[in-house]
Amino acid sequence: MVSRSDSLREFFSAEVTMADYISAIMVCLQPVNFILIIAMVALGIVFGAIPGLSATLGIALLLPITFGISTTTSFVLLLAIWIGGVSGTFISAVLIGIPGSSSAIATCFDGYPMTQKGQAGKALGIGMTASFIGSVFSIIVATILSPIIANVALKLGPWEYFSLCFCAITLIASLSKGSIFKGLMAAGIGLLMGCFGNDPINGMSRFTFGNINLYGGISTVAQMLGMFAMCQIIRDSAKGEAKMPECSVENMKGLGVSFRDIIDNIKTILFAFVVGLWIGFLPGMGSGISNMVAYGYAKSISKEPETFGKGNPSGIWASETANNASLGGALIPMMALGIPGDGITAMLIAALTIHGLQAGPLFMVEQHDLAMLIFACVLVSAIVTYLIQIVTKRWFPYILKIPYHYLYTVILVISYIGGFGISSNMFDIYVMLALCLLSVFMSMAGLPTSPLVLAFILEPKLEGYFRRGISYDHGSYAKFFTRPVSLILLLVSVLCVVWPFISDALKKKKAAKATAAAPEVNDD
Amino acid sequence: MKKPRRDFITGVVGLVGVAFFYFQILDIKKPAKLLEPGPRLMPYVALIIIALSSIALIIRGWKDREKSEKPYFPQGGIKKITRSYILLWLYAIALSIFGFIISTPFATFAFIYDLKGESKVKVVTTVIISIVVTAVLYAMFVYGFQVRLPKGILFS
Repeated sequence: MVSRSDSLREFFSAEVTMADYISAIMVCLQPVNFILIIAMVALGIVFGAIPGLSATLGIALLLPITFGISTTTSFVLLLAIWIGGVSGTFISAVLIGIPGSSSAIATCFDGYPMTQKGQAGKALGIGMTASFIGSVFSIIVATILSPIIANVALKLGPWEYFSLCFCAITLIASLSKGSIFKGLMAAGIGLLMGCFGNDPINGMSRFTFGNINLYGGISTVAQMLGMFAMCQIIRDSAKGEAKMPECSVENMKGLGVSFRDIIDNIKTILFAFVVGLWIGFLPGMGSGISNMVAYGYAKSISKEPETFGKGNPSGIWASETANNASLGGALIPMMALGIPGDGITAMLIAALTIHGLQAGPLFMVEQHDLAMLIFACVLVSAIVTYLIQIVTKRWFPYILKIPYHYLYTVILVISYIGGFGISSNMFDIYVMLALCLLSVFMSMAGLPTSPLVLAFILEPKLEGYFRRGISYDHGSYAKFFTRPVSLILLLVSVLCVVWPFISDALKKKKAAKATAAAPEVNDD
Repeated sequence: MKKPRRDFITGVVGLVGVAFFYFQILDIKKPAKLLEPGPRLMPYVALIIIALSSIALIIRGWKDREKSEKPYFPQGGIKKITRSYILLWLYAIALSIFGFIISTPFATFAFIYDLKGESKVKVVTTVIISIVVTAVLYAMFVYGFQVRLPKGILFS
């Protein structure tokens, strides 16, 4: 009989992993899967390119479709649209100066000025190539590191897992835009929403209001569709943001980038890659921050910093390499620990749950074929994304000419189909509409959505690990503080919440010192 | 009287929500002789987080009450979003009564007109798009992805 430790050792042996990885790549290259990858990557690029749409929305719309198809095909669809969507964000940033998402904000700074100078083709070429470098190499790192981290994670108990989930939620809440209170409030709402239905340990019903449809809790798909798709559409329309400026269609021939360009910017690319990977790994940060950090660095090491913001190609190299490297970074905690790094990986974890699977170290052992397929599919999708972008580059401006009212209408109808498809019941559509309203009020109040989604997804784990931890220790809370990894994570969490206040106090003190020193200088 | 700031309103709404859910928590049954805190723990934690954040937002909103605040929606935005939201509910109700095939072309038509903003759309084009979208989505989901669509009370 083979023991569990033997099977773990076998899983983490390089040969077995490599063989599984190659066979997973072959699965991705099977005609049906490969065609799906091409189609979904193309759709993802369109979603990424159009401001207001995103890979997150694409995945939310695809989730309901995955109910009726196999797990393998589901992940091929979801991962391909993710990769295409993340990569496509630079297109509108370069062509019209509006980022497809927050991950391409820094790309606008130099991408759009290049377009204005008639260098749109080159700017797009840099965006494509930098995205390719960032995603492919980060995926390779994620593929190598995830099994190693998962191996370590298998030695952790519920105390460490609770602290990890807690740390992820506090990190994302404290780093979200606006004030920390708004981030915390959103996280609190997410936790409360996660409590609906039967509790994960004793099965006692909570907040079901006598409705049997709520016994299973709030549907993740209904939540995603209501809070992302529907809310965004009616909000953008009401704010008058559902329209696009005209964009240039000139100078689109060729790739626009040579090998020499890569060599000239190698330092920027390397730093941006490391920054992107690390920031992507940290829960709550991700590509929205990494592109700005990398851009700042590229500017600081440049011999001509004054040219940044006026069409310096290094700015695009930095921003696009970093935001795509975050993709591989976010994949590591998702695969190795079952902790989502951002909203998209939270949805991918939800997709696993839909198929009766749970992300985390045991997933990599018990479902190692699927785990390898996920890594392989992400890699194949990244390569396909680059190839599609090379072939279709000249048509990028036309993506931005699709009328919003037609596109949004189709998305709305698909949202209803998705809402109904969850359980073939109108109840989930009503939940979706209620959550759409909640999301509208939240955005009016300035409450961020990411902490809510993360807390909602992590609530069952957070609660389960906490209560199990206490149960295993016969009612004692001590192990949360006496086990070193758990303690460190809890301290990091506390620091995340306290740091903004300390930072504010230090700034005020510094400002007070400066004002006190100013008259003395004048007196002299 | 000056309109209260959004932070203040958010805090007050948050506290009202906390009060409502507090009484709901009292209805959650707790099994006897548990070694761990039981099913009421996490709802309490969530409520404490929301309550503390709400109080902080109320204080901040009160402190900043003299500062002016830009409206979230432009002129007519509230009216527009209310109309859009009512449309979403009407479509949901129509789906439950008439089913997908009958409701969707009308809903698609209405959504296009609701979302068009200042863009110009032709009635004939919109009608054609509404029918084509319904047919394509029906075929794609029912035959392609094996997803069931609402049939409506009248037809089920």
